[in-house]
Amino acid sequence: MQDFLAYTVLGLCLGSVYAIAATGLVVTYSTSGIFNVAHGGVATMSALVYWQLRFGWHVSTPLALFLTIVVFAPLLGIFLEVFIMRGLRDTSEVTRLVVPVAVLLAINGASTWIWFRNSNRALVPKKFFGESHINVLGQAVYYHQLIGVALAILIAGALYVLLYRTRLGVTMRATVDDRSLLMLNGGRPDVASMASWAIGASLAGLAGVLLSPQLGALQVFALTLLVFDAYPAAVAGRLRSVPLTYAGAMVLGLSKLYFDWISDAGQRWLLLRNLRNAIPAVLLFVALLLLPQDRLRGSVVARTRERFKVPTLRQALLWGVVLVAVVAMLQSLMSGSAVISLANAISLSLLALSLVLLTGYAGEINLAVFTFAGVAVIAAWQFDVGPNGLATKQSLSVMAILLSMCVCALVGGLIALPALRLRGLYLGLATFAFGIIVYQLVILQTAPLHFSLFGRHITINLFTNGSFTVPRPYWFGISFGGQRAFLMLMTVMFAIIGIGLIALRRSAYGRMIVAMKDSPAACATLGLNIKRLKLGVFMLSSAVAGLGGLMWAAQRRTLPNNADFDGFASLTLFMIAVVGGIGYVSGALIAGIFLSLLSVVLPNILNKLGADYPSLHWLFVTVIGNFTHYVGPAMIGIGLGKNPSGIAQQIMDGFRPLRKAPAATAVWVLALAGLWMLTWRGVVSNWNFALICVASVFLVPRFIMAAFELRFVDENRLVSGEDLDLIGLERPFRESDRQTLDTALGLPPMGVPRAAP
Amino acid sequence: MKFGGAAALSDVNVTAEAGAITGLIGPNGAGKTTLFNCITGLLQPTSGVVFLEGKEVSSLPPYKRARGGVARTFQRLELFTSLTVRDNIRVAGEIRNRWSRTRVDPRAEADIVIEMLGLTRLADRDVSEIPTGMARRVEMGRALMTRPKILLLDEPASGQDEQETEEFGDLLLNLCGDGTAILLVEHDVSLVMKVCSFIQVLDFGRVIASGTPGEIQSNPAVLEAYLGEDNRA
Repeated sequence: MQDFLAYTVLGLCLGSVYAIAATGLVVTYSTSGIFNVAHGGVATMSALVYWQLRFGWHVSTPLALFLTIVVFAPLLGIFLEVFIMRGLRDTSEVTRLVVPVAVLLAINGASTWIWFRNSNRALVPKKFFGESHINVLGQAVYYHQLIGVALAILIAGALYVLLYRTRLGVTMRATVDDRSLLMLNGGRPDVASMASWAIGASLAGLAGVLLSPQLGALQVFALTLLVFDAYPAAVAGRLRSVPLTYAGAMVLGLSKLYFDWISDAGQRWLLLRNLRNAIPAVLLFVALLLLPQDRLRGSVVARTRERFKVPTLRQALLWGVVLVAVVAMLQSLMSGSAVISLANAISLSLLALSLVLLTGYAGEINLAVFTFAGVAVIAAWQFDVGPNGLATKQSLSVMAILLSMCVCALVGGLIALPALRLRGLYLGLATFAFGIIVYQLVILQTAPLHFSLFGRHITINLFTNGSFTVPRPYWFGISFGGQRAFLMLMTVMFAIIGIGLIALRRSAYGRMIVAMKDSPAACATLGLNIKRLKLGVFMLSSAVAGLGGLMWAAQRRTLPNNADFDGFASLTLFMIAVVGGIGYVSGALIAGIFLSLLSVVLPNILNKLGADYPSLHWLFVTVIGNFTHYVGPAMIGIGLGKNPSGIAQQIMDGFRPLRKAPAATAVWVLALAGLWMLTWRGVVSNWNFALICVASVFLVPRFIMAAFELRFVDENRLVSGEDLDLIGLERPFRESDRQTLDTALGLPPMGVPRAAP
Repeated sequence: MKFGGAAALSDVNVTAEAGAITGLIGPNGAGKTTLFNCITGLLQPTSGVVFLEGKEVSSLPPYKRARGGVARTFQRLELFTSLTVRDNIRVAGEIRNRWSRTRVDPRAEADIVIEMLGLTRLADRDVSEIPTGMARRVEMGRALMTRPKILLLDEPASGQDEQETEEFGDLLLNLCGDGTAILLVEHDVSLVMKVCSFIQVLDFGRVIASGTPGEIQSNPAVLEAYLGEDNRA
């Protein structure tokens, strides 16, 4: 009993810090509608700033705390609100999730760059008042922990007074209810938003400082994950209620400590030794199950800025053939290492295709794509059970792939079930929690599972010895073991699945999915069972993720359990896929290419440039190299607020002038084909081929626009001839102009009676 | 129906007869849209029941009520903004095909509805590009594709000009001639007086008057609710 009470006290201490972290999240969400995934990043960077001030530069503790919590963190919050989050108005829930993800990656990248780029030095924070403690029921409770409890109580009271007893608090709450109305009544919502982000960031910073001594030495991603642990508490409070958030945080803290108590800190049951790290994710699922049903919502905003055009099936087929032909031509010119990079890109694109269906079409969110890849590999392994599983096989069999897809679909369905009643954000959080659980309890298991079922002895191989070896296919007498052959196989698969997705989008099922995304309430009043449709889409996309994951694993051949499964890789892929253009199959292709470019190709090029030009090493490697490595992908994601439809849309718009000049386009394509032939024959070098191709891609559409007097109006409408807005100013208005305007506005021509009802 | 401590609807008893248009009018904030949300199941009332053809449907989710024959339009447009006008209407038929025993050709039926509503010229436009008045017709077309027994129209004439409103009134009369019950929320009093056979007036969540258009026009409680006691001429 004494132990129980002692662990209860310690659990409440831990819960207090989680409460501080989760409350910051609630404050920003309830005043801006943005779930600030970057909260963990802000906490981490604040902890590092505090360490720098207190232990690096030996500033006194009060001053270091003041500078961190009252100056740095709020300024960072204000910066984020003013320069990034404010641009997210009138965007979809997906965009409002992706940009904070990008901010998280940027902050963490910057933290790594600043504090950890050159050395593996250990930054060890100390508790306030060192090891000073009091004894409670035989357990040491440090002053540091008591300070956390006191601050949590103080903050709860201060927030209550702020939100309900001050003009600023009322303005903050009014901002989220109706921003326009608040402005009409003389309120200043921008100031309220800045205040809420400053408070949220300050609370994140405080939580980071309080939690950091738990880690021993500071690590960027470990501390971020530690703050992520507080997210279930915020979900328990429905991201709005501070008292419920506090209650959730206490349950969280107590659960962790009780687990320590009954499991001897995880040593009693080896299979569950990582359960402590997965407890927050498990509690998140529980919170999702307990949350009351969301009201069926209508369109979140009257008109979001995202617009995705759907290609015709004929266009899709044409582009599929073009993709396969272009990859075949390019790979014939490429070196072995370049082919590997391109194959990596295509394998990541295959994975990202699942997001096109789920997020692009249905508006739902999966933040654990790589986890499904892991599940697929494990499932494929079970199918090929043998002394050493797939490692001894010559081929990844079709049956193994189908089985993996089915398993992924089932697992996806199980994860989606608790979140089906709720909004997309909660489904996203459920998948993220699932990713953490699978990572901690399955992927990090290096021993096979043995158990009996109905008298049969069953063995399930997980990541035995820390990795899986996945063979490449050998189908229909063709070996795809070679890198070039496997690249072409994946490209053909990408084209087929891409065409299939477009066909699905153009089908009745596709229209229903899109309708569900646009207005679930309207769909329900038409007789559509939203939950069932959502479940079906999630299962289908999980199956596609399983297929993509297997191909990605086969591309890597040996898949270790330490990378790509901890959640951040999935966040990155999701972010880049949205940046690429989540509503487009080509967006998935762009995502894969971007990731491969930024993680492998660009660093190689910059390193080579740095080696070739030592005097400019600082520029190529230190500045550009580090920037692209640490914060490059994140910067691309942050720019999404400006162009929420993604890069694919921009590229398509850029090439639209080609449609107006088919002859010139045909000449250009033939010229490129001729150039490829010359390069293949060795007449032109690869570099020159690449430079000419890239230059022509930029120049030819502009040349056609100039030659045919084309211009864009209304952001993306391409027209030729004179500007309608200037008619009447530059020349007199004519009857033919009126007819043109009527046609453009969809009005019946003069003299034609309106259609009778 | 209560929101927090405030009663949005109280002691409201509304009946819509088949083959007739029942008007539901009242000042802004009277509770008309809330009543529609309760009938369609988008809001669960704190007390009270909803009957459809004598059968209680209060415990059914919105999609099951829709399958039972309840269709609606929205005061704040709820169109599928990623789809064209034609696809907005067509998808309703495709959804109906999922649950109805009688299958239809959604495209052909959508074309008929588009023609009937005078939307032919806009059929292939993105629905987000068309004027509000036309968008309201699209919502109505979408609702009609479910072949409803009762049609709840929430300010369908707002955004339409005088001529369009007149045509719209004729269209409503045609529809109820087929046996459909229509519950019409509308601020255009002349339209309501023209097409409705019975009118109920809501104010502050309560029915303050009910009767034929003639009775409602001379009802003192209605005049007070609309004009205020001091402004009555």
